[in-house]
Amino acid sequence: MALTDIDHQPGISFSLNGKPVRVDGPPSERLSYALRERAGTRDVKVGCDAGDCGACTILIDGNPVCACTTALGQVDGAVIETQAGLFAADPIAKDLAASFQRHQAAQCGICTPGMMVSAVALLRDRSKPDQAAVEDALGGVLCRCTGYRKIIDAVMDCGGTTANPVGGVGTPMARVDGLPKVSGTERFADDVAAEGTLVLRLVRCPHHRAGFELGDLDAYKLRTGLDLILTVADVPGDNRFGVIPGFEDQPIFADGETRFKGEAVAAVVGSADIVNALDLTEFPVTYTPLPHALLPKDAAGIGDMHKGRDGNVMCRGFVKRGDASAALQSAAVVAEGSFSTGFIEHGYIEPEAAVARRVGDRIEVQCCTQAPVMNQDGIAILMGLPKESVRIIPTAVGGGFGSKLDLTAQPYVALAAWVLNKPVRVTYSRIESISTSTKRHPSEITMRIGADADGTIVGAEFDGIFNTGAYASWGPTVANRVPIHASGPYKTPNYLARSAGIHTNTAPSGAFRGFGVPQSALAQEPLYDDLADALGIDRLEFRRRNALRNGDPTVTGQVFETGMGIVECFDVLEPHWKRALADAATANAKGGTVRRGVGIAGGWYGCGNTSLSNPSTIRAGITLDGHVVLHQGAMDIGQGANTVIAQIFATALGVPVDGIDIVGPDTDVTPDAGKTSASRQTFVTGNAARLCGEAMRARILRLANVSGDAEISVGDGAIRVRDDGGERLFPLDTLTPDNATYVLESVESYDPPTLPLDENGQGVPYAVFGTTAQIAELEVDLELGTVKLLKITAAHDVGKAINPLLVEGQVQGGVAQGIGLALMEEFLPGRTENLHDYLIPTVGDVPPIETLIVESGDEHGPYGAKGLGEHCLIPTAPAILNAIKHASGARVAHLPATPDRVRAAILAQTQSPSAKN
Amino acid sequence: MRFESPATVAEAVTLLNEATGTVYPMAGGTDLLVRLRSGFVEPDLIVDLKRIDALHMIVQEADGLRVGAAVPSAELNEHADALAGWPGVCEATGLIGSTQVQGRCTMVGNLCNASPAADSVPALVAAGAIARVVGPNGTRDVPVEEIPTAPGRTSLKKGEIIESVLLPTKPAHSGEAYLRFIPRTEMDIAVVGVGISLTLDDSGICTDARVGLGAVAATVLLVEDAAKALIGTKVDDAALDALAAACSAAASPINDKRGTIEFRVEIAGTLARRAAKIALARAQQN
Ligand SMILES: Cc1cc2nc3c(=O)[nH]c(=O)nc-3n(C[C@H](O)[C@H](O)[C@H](O)COP(=O)(O)OP(=O)(O)OC[C@H]3O[C@@H](n4cnc5c(N)ncnc54)[C@H](O)[C@@H]3O)c2cc1C
Ligand code: FES
Ligand code: FES
Repeated sequence: MALTDIDHQPGISFSLNGKPVRVDGPPSERLSYALRERAGTRDVKVGCDAGDCGACTILIDGNPVCACTTALGQVDGAVIETQAGLFAADPIAKDLAASFQRHQAAQCGICTPGMMVSAVALLRDRSKPDQAAVEDALGGVLCRCTGYRKIIDAVMDCGGTTANPVGGVGTPMARVDGLPKVSGTERFADDVAAEGTLVLRLVRCPHHRAGFELGDLDAYKLRTGLDLILTVADVPGDNRFGVIPGFEDQPIFADGETRFKGEAVAAVVGSADIVNALDLTEFPVTYTPLPHALLPKDAAGIGDMHKGRDGNVMCRGFVKRGDASAALQSAAVVAEGSFSTGFIEHGYIEPEAAVARRVGDRIEVQCCTQAPVMNQDGIAILMGLPKESVRIIPTAVGGGFGSKLDLTAQPYVALAAWVLNKPVRVTYSRIESISTSTKRHPSEITMRIGADADGTIVGAEFDGIFNTGAYASWGPTVANRVPIHASGPYKTPNYLARSAGIHTNTAPSGAFRGFGVPQSALAQEPLYDDLADALGIDRLEFRRRNALRNGDPTVTGQVFETGMGIVECFDVLEPHWKRALADAATANAKGGTVRRGVGIAGGWYGCGNTSLSNPSTIRAGITLDGHVVLHQGAMDIGQGANTVIAQIFATALGVPVDGIDIVGPDTDVTPDAGKTSASRQTFVTGNAARLCGEAMRARILRLANVSGDAEISVGDGAIRVRDDGGERLFPLDTLTPDNATYVLESVESYDPPTLPLDENGQGVPYAVFGTTAQIAELEVDLELGTVKLLKITAAHDVGKAINPLLVEGQVQGGVAQGIGLALMEEFLPGRTENLHDYLIPTVGDVPPIETLIVESGDEHGPYGAKGLGEHCLIPTAPAILNAIKHASGARVAHLPATPDRVRAAILAQTQSPSAKN
Repeated sequence: MRFESPATVAEAVTLLNEATGTVYPMAGGTDLLVRLRSGFVEPDLIVDLKRIDALHMIVQEADGLRVGAAVPSAELNEHADALAGWPGVCEATGLIGSTQVQGRCTMVGNLCNASPAADSVPALVAAGAIARVVGPNGTRDVPVEEIPTAPGRTSLKKGEIIESVLLPTKPAHSGEAYLRFIPRTEMDIAVVGVGISLTLDDSGICTDARVGLGAVAATVLLVEDAAKALIGTKVDDAALDALAAACSAAASPINDKRGTIEFRVEIAGTLARRAAKIALARAQQN
């Protein structure tokens, strides 16, 4: 019926980026969809379709509005501008793009169109807006990567002229891949399908757990005009996937029983207008709800969901050193407590999307992913194809943070395209994305830590239960990692840590920045405050006293002779700490209901897989015409791998970084650089890039028969080598080429050295740990329970900052996620499945962040660099909780510390005088 | 689904009145389109009000400022007379969504959406605003607190729309304020919203007051007891305590992830006290 109505409606005419256009579509259609799919302006992004994220911001008659809450029919005769059009035609937008580049205001770039369009509207109004005006203009645009501060800086510095330096290791250069992001030409997973591509949607179970029966699918297909319906019966290979060997337990289509709300039971495929208009509640399937558990405590009572996992215990982790119970008994003071955190959603602004096409007997999938080769392996198994028959071509990734490691949308389109022999696309709605993607594990932790009278930690006991959801995903990693890290970066001679991952009927918990370590820090760091307070020792000093130093064994008995930088982190924070405490005391002396507090916390994180091989390979070559080409397979999900890896390679080879051509990840042409997770890319792939650059350099030097410090340059069909003896020229066409593509080619791999853990968890789990400590300054409104952050000061030992600008970006983005974890975020299945109920920090929630870079070097890392991604958010939430306690006297142990919980904690503490200290 | 963009109020009323099935007028669409998309609403006809020039007016009349139904919040908040005379209403409309939402959304849409948490409504109630309703049977003026009847429901009859809202001119020494409480700093749904308007005599005694309370009941409340707590006082601490107690007593909120019942009840009082102080300071300056 809708279609006949459209027929007699005239098209809608308006000006789009300076050109008159006429768009045929239902007038009630959202403008964002019409602009993207009917008018081809794919620089308008869609993150939520509900006005919450601002990614779709465009200018209508000069005013910034959300295209997703505007109807196509409302813009007849209007003047519409989008990011790409503004970049092309408006000098302000060009200046702003340059400023975004200088400040690294775009990380993944998915929020950038909305940010820039909103900012252009402001800058047209006034060329030098103050910070409040900028924050107001950007308040409706969410960014999950940057922590907003660099975006504010970029808008305020629009028109500025200071240029970033360009160079190798140590240079704060702008991203090498930034231009498409700031000019509206970047293509994310939902942006690459050709017009007319068939659309796939998933039929998802509305119950937490249910048996189900499919009805007459053929009749439904015929009646609706679909091209294809897929169910479990159509999966040609092994219907299960996963990320940890031995734990591949998740089906792409449920087989007789669904195990979490939103699990797919079928897929429908057809033309866009048909599929998008379907009311999938009418799909022929009948569910029989089954008993379910949403919390680990109820999991034992619902029968085992996976064979061999008794009582729904997925797996356990364990580390034991010395005798913790004896040490705690003899300790002068013991602090103990129970702590919990909820599910945390990654909240990347780009929902999962993929498009697949069949090419002969191969299937090609374009998608947003953090792990192309793992995706390739997984799809091959699901489809019963050899690995070589699957090609993954990653698009730009609009944020990942761990969740885009796992397969999500890819297998469905791969299968549909294979069956139909036509391209098929899928994009998750925000609700699908939130309700079905992996989450940070909810945790329930009890911990006891003891110290002797002079403030030396003598022992700790840790018990953590992690809700791992319906399927394993990265749950085993969390269970293993947490006991290794739960001591924090502190000497803990007697230690016992146990963890368990428990299956429930929720979306699977998986990888999210930190793999469980942020949760354990939320128990250990508050207890450190309690110990310091009980002993009357300054809280920073207490931590520094106990911090691991070179030569000290960790809780797994690993000893670092160099590069344990946590003491330096506390040292560089000390002046800030003293200043912050003095400021707080001055402010609080005035009295009133708003009290200031200062908190501190430390953190550490082992880079790479736990005691497992995780190699990366880098390939590079020099072409006949003199181009240096770097095949860089480390997925850049916004963190900056493209830039950092290129800088390392350029330094190793000894050529300028801006002369290098980068070939991105594509499983057909770029070797496996492993997954972008566990803070491993700079460290592991960076080392492969260093080795590759060094190998190529060595070959060239051998060719020229010159010493190590000769200068190399490549270009114009020749290699030039220069040293004290003058310059020599090697025309590339005079050399015997290595292969058809490259005259000279190097391929090098790196695998970090680790050793397996024994039955007590003793061993060498990681080649390197990064360390960090942060200070949070904030105000608590005692009457309302609200927390206003004033400043975060973040010290990070990165070994060596390959690119200080990108380090700051990682830190600020991580801190912002830590703020969300501490104060507002919690996924509740069925209740917080969109971005107005699941709250992530906005520009107004993130205070100024000062990054203090510590460079303690590293034995193994490239040029001494360690990884960074995960560390950034580990201390943030505990520092905030400790600051809330300092301000209000109240300890919030169950996150998020929403105002009602803070207020309740304040009331509880004033009512029970015993808890006052 | 039909979509019509009439040019006059009369045409809009005719379209709405004559259509069968589910029909909706649409202003900014920031509520309606989101509901449409999430599948809660499948209308047969949408009548776009944004093309009706007459609804875009903000005019000063003898007894107040008349704001048309299609005026976007962003525009209202740049209107000097509105800002000067009704700072509480402007504060409230200025809190709706983000800059990107405010470019489209309207105060009247906020009212007709009939959400108990709608930000502008407690402020409008406090300001004593009057909605002008136009329908097939002519025009009537209705106090805003009588528009929402339940979450998502209004007292408007078939074919009726609100054409404008009148913000009545205040006597001398009057002031108003709106405060809302949300867990995040912006872009969030009110946990509690309080609008207060009060008038003082020359000696600083409160002679008139209106208190609108949002997000703590099925509709926005006009809390008479809260007004009584202020009237006849100098809005001193004792009066503020009584005001807070009256607002907490009037609150019957639900438990949800944004706040527990106890918390909302308490915050209703705390926020009312703070809003009254701002309104008082403004009244003293006027
Ligand atoms: C991201 C986002 C954030 C938001 N934040 C807030 C917030 O902080 N506070 C808040 O209160 N609201 C918020 N809202 C809700 C919404 O923006 C407001 O309620 C807004 O004021 C609605 O105005 P509108 O013109 O867009 O209404 P529309 O969506 O056009 O209409 C809303 C309802 O009113 C009816 N209607 C509209 N105009 C008339 C009329 N003249 N006569 C009769 N009926 C009419 C429609 O039929 C519909 O049922 C938010 C919405 C979004 C998308
Ligand atoms: S897509 Fe429009 S606001 Fe998110
Ligand atoms: S850069 Fe803002 S969301 Fe990624």
